[in-house]
Amino acid sequence: MTLQRLTRNFLALAGALGLTAIAPVLAQGTPQKGGTLVMVVQPEPPTLAAYQSTAGPVGQVATKVYEGLLEYSFDLKPMPSLAQSWTVAPDGKTVTFKLTPNVKFHDGKPFTSADVQFTVMDVLKKVHPRGVNTFRAVTAVETPDPLTAIFKLSEPAPYMMMALSSYESPMLPKHVFGTGDIATHPNANRPVGTGPFKFVEWQKGQFMRLDRNPDYRKAGLPHLDRVVARFIADAGTRSAAMETQEAHIGGFNAVPPVDVKRLSGLPHIATTYKGYEMQAPIVQLDFNTTKPPFNDARVRQAVAYAIDRQFVIDNVWFGFGKPATGPISSNFKANGLYTDQVRNYNVKNGVEMANKLLDEAGKKRGADGVRFEIVHDVTPYGEEWRRFGEYVQQQLAKIGIKATLRYEDVPAWLRRVYTNYDFDLTNNWIQTLADPSIGMHRLYHSNTIKAGTVFVNNSRWTTKETDELMNKANVETDPKKRAALYHDLQKRIVDASPLVFVHELNFVTVYNKRVNNFPVSPLGLYSAMDTVWLAK
Amino acid sequence: MRDAFLRFVRHKPALVGLVLLVMVVIAAAVASLLYPGDPFRIVGKPFQPPLTDFPLGTDMLGRDLAAAVFYGARTTLLIGFAATLIATVVGVTIGGLAGYFGGRADALLMRLTELFQTIPFFLFAILLVAVLGSSIGKIIFAIAVVSWPPMARLVRGEFMAMRNREFVQACVSMGMGHARIIVVHILPNTLSAIVVTGSLMIATAILIESGLSFLGLSDPNVMSWGYIIGSGRSVLRTAWWICAVPGVAILLTVMAINLVGDGLNDALNPRLRQL
Repeated sequence: MTLQRLTRNFLALAGALGLTAIAPVLAQGTPQKGGTLVMVVQPEPPTLAAYQSTAGPVGQVATKVYEGLLEYSFDLKPMPSLAQSWTVAPDGKTVTFKLTPNVKFHDGKPFTSADVQFTVMDVLKKVHPRGVNTFRAVTAVETPDPLTAIFKLSEPAPYMMMALSSYESPMLPKHVFGTGDIATHPNANRPVGTGPFKFVEWQKGQFMRLDRNPDYRKAGLPHLDRVVARFIADAGTRSAAMETQEAHIGGFNAVPPVDVKRLSGLPHIATTYKGYEMQAPIVQLDFNTTKPPFNDARVRQAVAYAIDRQFVIDNVWFGFGKPATGPISSNFKANGLYTDQVRNYNVKNGVEMANKLLDEAGKKRGADGVRFEIVHDVTPYGEEWRRFGEYVQQQLAKIGIKATLRYEDVPAWLRRVYTNYDFDLTNNWIQTLADPSIGMHRLYHSNTIKAGTVFVNNSRWTTKETDELMNKANVETDPKKRAALYHDLQKRIVDASPLVFVHELNFVTVYNKRVNNFPVSPLGLYSAMDTVWLAK
Repeated sequence: MRDAFLRFVRHKPALVGLVLLVMVVIAAAVASLLYPGDPFRIVGKPFQPPLTDFPLGTDMLGRDLAAAVFYGARTTLLIGFAATLIATVVGVTIGGLAGYFGGRADALLMRLTELFQTIPFFLFAILLVAVLGSSIGKIIFAIAVVSWPPMARLVRGEFMAMRNREFVQACVSMGMGHARIIVVHILPNTLSAIVVTGSLMIATAILIESGLSFLGLSDPNVMSWGYIIGSGRSVLRTAWWICAVPGVAILLTVMAINLVGDGLNDALNPRLRQL
């Protein structure tokens, strides 16, 4: 694909989706070569082994070095990347990828189907936290010739096609990672990929430097000479770096929401919510549904009614969010999986409704107006969670539930909530990712009640019917039928309210207006950035 | 005693400090009369500046800052006095025993004291709260643990000086027991030093508590000044008053305690008795 065509495609795409925020930037004309893009990445990634760590910041850097078989468009459709075309057999059990020819790894060796086979069967299926699940149906990857990889599946796996990006499933060189123990491989922090940028150095605690790959498969790309990821621990200093133009781009709330408003007033700063469509994080309250008082659906519903979602968004997250209706993010409106035709808890007279439900449930108020007492755990991921906890405490007081707040450190909280299940109610947030099958089933299916595994079904609410719906959706290849299954599922889950769906968290990327062609995919900062260019 | 009182009253700054301190105590006492209910209650629109609907404005969730400051005075005084009391008892006991008995006991107790002194006290307090959890009792304990060593050293010095004075020697020759000598004869003579140091320790304890709260290590169910500052820190550039109001409260209280401490020092210092 030539550069002009590529740009045109992005323009068309942007236009079609009405990306007003980036349209003027795209209209600025011909890309300029060269320059160093400075990204603020927060926090510093613990490793560069994108094939075994799903920690957020890893992807922001590693996706410039590694590539995946596919990329995705804003309407969540697969697009060519290392695979130039693909066909799914009618029974859904064979997926054939034709690989892009003449692709070289950074060490000069060619990329072939053997690398695909190695990566999927020996690495992702074994050590990638989500890959274990994503590729569970893959029984073999056949390699009839160097440019054909045939995935053999035990059952259809439509969700797998949503998980082949460089972020989710990076393709590794077999000749490098094939020898030695993959879990502790010496090349983990010296990645060798096929991407537009080569890894050069990592000064721990300071920066990571990636240089332009002159042999990149797309001729003329990337535009940038260099990408530098800087690690700045203090939030105020990160904002200042953006303000003084020392850094050009920072996402995943590297610039805290409260500063975004101020920075976006500056003439050289732009902001966007785009580029997080395949993360789809939802802020929620998790109930322990196995013991009183939250084993009663009416009590859970009461809490769901009592939360004023817009208040939380406006005052705790400074406007960066939108009320959630259920377990599936409204991002999936694009492919029809989402529905808002579910019980609506976000109503004006929520507190009244809640009090009524609690009366019905037989939770009478005592002389002091208290129906019962609980402990509300707060996820230890920052200030906003404390504010959110304090808000929930006040709302619960209005409906006669006396909540005591508890803060612990990350390991203690994880152990309490995901291993010992020693909690009543905790706030939390979950990335529902690129497909409900990957991101959302884990919170509701009976087979994900696994003590010790984090970010799975900790409310321990399950029903036979919902399990069944998820099992069917896993293997349903007809998009219409699959959507219908998910609509039914959403209705049931929202009714039972094993979690309170509070809001869809909007991450915001703050960037300098000199940065052009960003974001070009729903993966945002998790994309290769080969077409990004810096105006002089 | 009358002399001491007169010296204190003549010390103008001390008097100012005492008045301020009394005001803080009154604020703490009337908090629940003026603002019945939970100080964390959301009562109005968030981010209202002072002197609008609420005299001191509201914070990011719409909580009344005036209520928060009144309730915060309670927490601050409680922690300041309780932690100081514990630290003083521990410090006086250890310092007194070391200074009185000397020799091995002294060496052992002072090495222990030095062990505590080698750890930067604020970091130590953070560590303790992080490990123990952040309920108000544990915070008081953590502050007490990091505050007693200076008191122990001071008391040890006083006791060592007293130990060889004639009146103590006289007690010993009369066959008086150690406990009696310590409690009845030496301790009263070191009291002025203990009172002065203790009063300044309250100020330090308040600052430590504010620092811990500022870092988010406060008891989540108790309103304190440090907590308000910590939560307002992220909006400092848009809503300055959230930090400023409790900040001024801490400033005035700590200053008041220091002034009172200075006044006590002047009043109780026997060398100034002739002035």
